[in-house]
Amino acid sequence: MKARLAALATALLLAAAAWSAALAQPAPSAAPDAAFAAELATARRAAGAGCKEDAVDRLVRILCRGKLRVGVRTNYPLFAGETAQGLAGYEIDIARTIAAALGVDLVLVPVTPANRIAMLGEDRIDLTIATMGHTSLRDGQARFIRPHYYQSQTVVVGPRGRALTDFDDLAGQTICVTVGNASNAELSGHNARLMLFDSPAKLVERLSAQACQLAAQDDSFFAAAFTDPAFAARYETKFGFAPVPWGMAVGREGTEHLAQLLSILSARFHRDGIFLNTAATHGIATGFLERQRSAWSGHCNSATALQDGTCLAAPLVTAVPATPWAGQVDAIEAWIEQRLGLRATLAMFKMAPAWELVRNGAINSGLLILGVSLATPCIAVLIGLALGFGGLPLRWLAQGVCVLMQSCPVVLTLVIAAALCNHLVGITTLSGLITAIIALGLINGSYAGRAIADAVASLRGDAAKRDEAPVPPHRLFREGLARAETQIGAFIINAIKGTPIASFIGVPELLNALTDTASFSAERATTYWLLLVFYTLAVLLLVPVVQALGGLLRNRASAR
Amino acid sequence: MTAFFDALPPGFLLHLLGGVSINFWIAAIGLVLGLAVGLPLAICLASGSRWLRWAASPVTALMRAAPTFVTMYFLFQILQAGPGGGAALSPVMTVAWALMPYAAAYIADSGADALRHWRAGSFSAALLFLPNLVRAYFVMVMSSGISAAIGVQEGISIILRQANAMSSFPQQLGVYLLGILVFGSIMQAGLLGVGALRRFATALMLNRASQRAGAQSDLGFDGPRIEPSE
Repeated sequence: MKARLAALATALLLAAAAWSAALAQPAPSAAPDAAFAAELATARRAAGAGCKEDAVDRLVRILCRGKLRVGVRTNYPLFAGETAQGLAGYEIDIARTIAAALGVDLVLVPVTPANRIAMLGEDRIDLTIATMGHTSLRDGQARFIRPHYYQSQTVVVGPRGRALTDFDDLAGQTICVTVGNASNAELSGHNARLMLFDSPAKLVERLSAQACQLAAQDDSFFAAAFTDPAFAARYETKFGFAPVPWGMAVGREGTEHLAQLLSILSARFHRDGIFLNTAATHGIATGFLERQRSAWSGHCNSATALQDGTCLAAPLVTAVPATPWAGQVDAIEAWIEQRLGLRATLAMFKMAPAWELVRNGAINSGLLILGVSLATPCIAVLIGLALGFGGLPLRWLAQGVCVLMQSCPVVLTLVIAAALCNHLVGITTLSGLITAIIALGLINGSYAGRAIADAVASLRGDAAKRDEAPVPPHRLFREGLARAETQIGAFIINAIKGTPIASFIGVPELLNALTDTASFSAERATTYWLLLVFYTLAVLLLVPVVQALGGLLRNRASAR
Repeated sequence: MTAFFDALPPGFLLHLLGGVSINFWIAAIGLVLGLAVGLPLAICLASGSRWLRWAASPVTALMRAAPTFVTMYFLFQILQAGPGGGAALSPVMTVAWALMPYAAAYIADSGADALRHWRAGSFSAALLFLPNLVRAYFVMVMSSGISAAIGVQEGISIILRQANAMSSFPQQLGVYLLGILVFGSIMQAGLLGVGALRRFATALMLNRASQRAGAQSDLGFDGPRIEPSE
């Protein structure tokens, strides 16, 4: 009995030694097929030597259990979506093919973008194939399998027939996007105006209802929308950018061999066209898979290809540099939560690119406020002079400007001004600012100018009633200004309140800047609260300043 | 000219008028909301109680200062990101609520004035509240064009979309001019309506003034100032 036990122990030790040797050198032995067979055989031997529930190696545990638990999406049509026959799609078929290759049963576990990595860490799934982009940030959270099984890119979708070929055509245009999408920063960097939505499904809804003219999202998402003939008849993909490789992923602990095996398997799937054919079956874009097949059936079909940088796509670098004071901002957030019970997220002060946007936006807003505060009274004075003292042609011209400005909604006035500016000199930050200042100044200045003219007319009337000698024009105008000071002040404040509308024509002021920031920091509540408080406070603080200036004007007029 | 109208899709004018009707609808909801909030504020502002006046004044000042466009964005983003993930307000209601602070502040100011006149016995001067209300409504119709920024299919959105679809810059300008013509006609018609209402109130005032010998006419009352909502 003792001898038999000793023999068994020796056999187990030998198996363990062989397994350890295999552990030390996980690289494929020769070509992918041989490497896969060797890896699987080694793992099966280890599994055959004894299965323990708490075995460290995940591959051994999968083989022992006879089941591969794969986390998949359930609401991503063409990739993994619910159908009458259960879950179906490209990723579901890939999961089935992998389970078959390992010789185990497949268990599909629904996951979401929020929990797909956490479930790997909690050992609730062995593998996730769930539309997950491979980014440098996620590399620290899960072990990604390369070569990648798919690659998506962000595409801009718009109406057929609308000329739009690259980023240059996006300046000043409104694009509907989902909040938190990494590619939003690139769109806003090209002066596109972003309209944020919670989910990609809302983008299609908005496009279908023509409430959005342009939308940007993963091509993998739009693939399903384009299967609808009505949608495809109206919209088309304009251009794509920011490609992201999609990776299957396993947990960080005890997954070296599982990851190695899946990498070899992925290389084989590319080489044999399994990825490509499966994708074609489901009608999704195959450009990346065609290139991969060509590579893996050619120069990458070797034992060393899995370590070859030219054969493997790099993860997308998404790390955002922090501001030097990010730590202090964290402390402020914690203080607010602790003392006030409010969960404030001040991402715009912690991320360097967001901070740069906000700082520039605040400067531009300041310039806009200053500009309209000066332009409105200046235009008012010109119109007041023309209406009150000008000859007939000048009066008619001023009258025409007033009627035009009163007849045109503010947004339309700004759009027309921007279109003229774009036609004449092109829209840049500076020309956009100047255009917005002139347009807002004209709208409010025309109202205030008419108030000045009315005041001058009423002064003339008063003088006539009293049978007084005609007042010299310069004095009459000064007194008219004093009499209309309340109206002038009101329209200056109104112009200041109107400055955020400049964002509509793409001026990178604070509203646009904070919307851009929210679009990639995925935080909106604090951002829009801050925005509302900023503008309301700006108006509240400027009201007494304008009133004080008006009082000064009145006092000077009465002193003379 | 013919080429321009040929370039427009069939039924464009009707489509545009349909869109403009949404501007009217938004302004109507905004005005109702403004009345609901503004009238109690007006009562407080004109009240004999100092405490009520102190409570109502900062609220009215805040509403007066809130920029409509930013308020609209705030509501659009915050309510969309609210609990449950779904939008609590439709885009049309979002704009109507965004117009509410402007309407409420204006109604509070002019309503308080009207109440003071009423108490002082100037009933006809108090009646000027009505034309001012109509005027505010038309200003809000024009201001509701900001809803194009959140994708409401109203008049401005339709004009902008059509302008984008035109092949040349002069044709784009033509579409914009068409928009000015439509909105301008509405605004001028509204101002004419305000004038008619004002003349009616003035006639009432004159009538009462003639009945009260020696009483001073309050013809000079022009109601509170009004400016376009941004």
